[in-house]
Amino acid sequence: MLDSALNSYEALVVLATSSDENYPAENIIDGKTETFWISTGLFPQELIIRFTDNMKILTISIHSYNIKRLRIEMSTSEDADKFETIAETEFEQTESSLQTNDISVKVPNATHLRFVILSGYDHFVSVHKVGVQS
Amino acid sequence: MVKLRARCVVVGDAAVGKSSLCHMFRSDGAVFQKNYNMTAGVELLEKSVSVPETSDSEFFIYDSPGRELFADACENVWGQPSVMCVVFDITCEASFTSCSRWVERVRSHCNGLQVPGVLVGNKCDLSFRREVDSAEARTWAQTHGFQYHETSAKEIGQFEAPFLSLAQMFHSIYQDQIHTIKNVL
Ligand SMILES: Nc1nc2c(ncn2[C@@H]2O[C@H](COP(=O)(O)OP(=O)(O)OP(=O)(O)O)[C@@H](O)[C@H]2O)c(=O)[nH]1
Ligand SMILES: [Mg+2]
Repeated sequence: MLDSALNSYEALVVLATSSDENYPAENIIDGKTETFWISTGLFPQELIIRFTDNMKILTISIHSYNIKRLRIEMSTSEDADKFETIAETEFEQTESSLQTNDISVKVPNATHLRFVILSGYDHFVSVHKVGVQS
Repeated sequence: MVKLRARCVVVGDAAVGKSSLCHMFRSDGAVFQKNYNMTAGVELLEKSVSVPETSDSEFFIYDSPGRELFADACENVWGQPSVMCVVFDITCEASFTSCSRWVERVRSHCNGLQVPGVLVGNKCDLSFRREVDSAEARTWAQTHGFQYHETSAKEIGQFEAPFLSLAQMFHSIYQDQIHTIKNVL
């Protein structure tokens, strides 16, 4: 089980389709819910996390705000040329708290996870923390 | 400075000057089409809009046909609009009356989201033929929470204003959203 900051396991956000320098994508793997990445308009939005070691993953937990539909994909190759869908889900809207969701998956050995935010409850959505458990 | 991305839907009756406004804005005033080319499908134009010291926005402008025959089929192309620009011709009362219908039409694609809008009274270079009173248009805009601009698609320094307003309004929504998120934490 790895619930602490993903970046202490040498994970890296290698792609984000939005960037506001005040809310960098690294914020999603620093283990804190107070720091976040925010999208800057339009859907879909994409985030890709790369692991240095292949990861076995059974649960992905996400703290977010205003995300509606989300698809998660994984890649097992070093250069992330192929992705396959491992989960597709719709989050409920929250108002006075973050959305917290645990998603069960069967991932034997992933090098990358790709999060595709398909729609939101607002123009802009935020991701605060992504954690994985094996 | 943050770069926002917005889908800007431009609607209004046929021949009010939507395409003229969009193309003049897109080309920084380089091409004014004197002859009328009716738009039959949605035309997509891309343009960066800078609000000094605030934000840059990448606008994906959906110049839509006003002619009813084409309008219906084109709605599906809009997706979920971020901002809307509703245009009428100040020399044509009927085009102003249609504005409410255009707003409703766009709203039905907004999934209940707050979508900022501007009302544009175009062809103000033809004010000797004016049929729509500025005050009346301004009142209409206020009741819809829109900003009102009068423009001539022919004049540099006029056609930019509606798009700048929209960029500004979209940026305030962005800031409000960040504020809301920080309050939740
Ligand atoms: N005098 C004057 N003519 C204008 C202005 N804007 C547009 N026109 C003219 O009005 C006619 C129609 O303009 P368009 O921009 O094609 O109108 P539209 O709203 O895109 O029309 P549809 O595509 O059919 O919906 C053209 O002949 C333009 O040259 C303006 O500000 N002043
Ligand atoms: Mg046109």
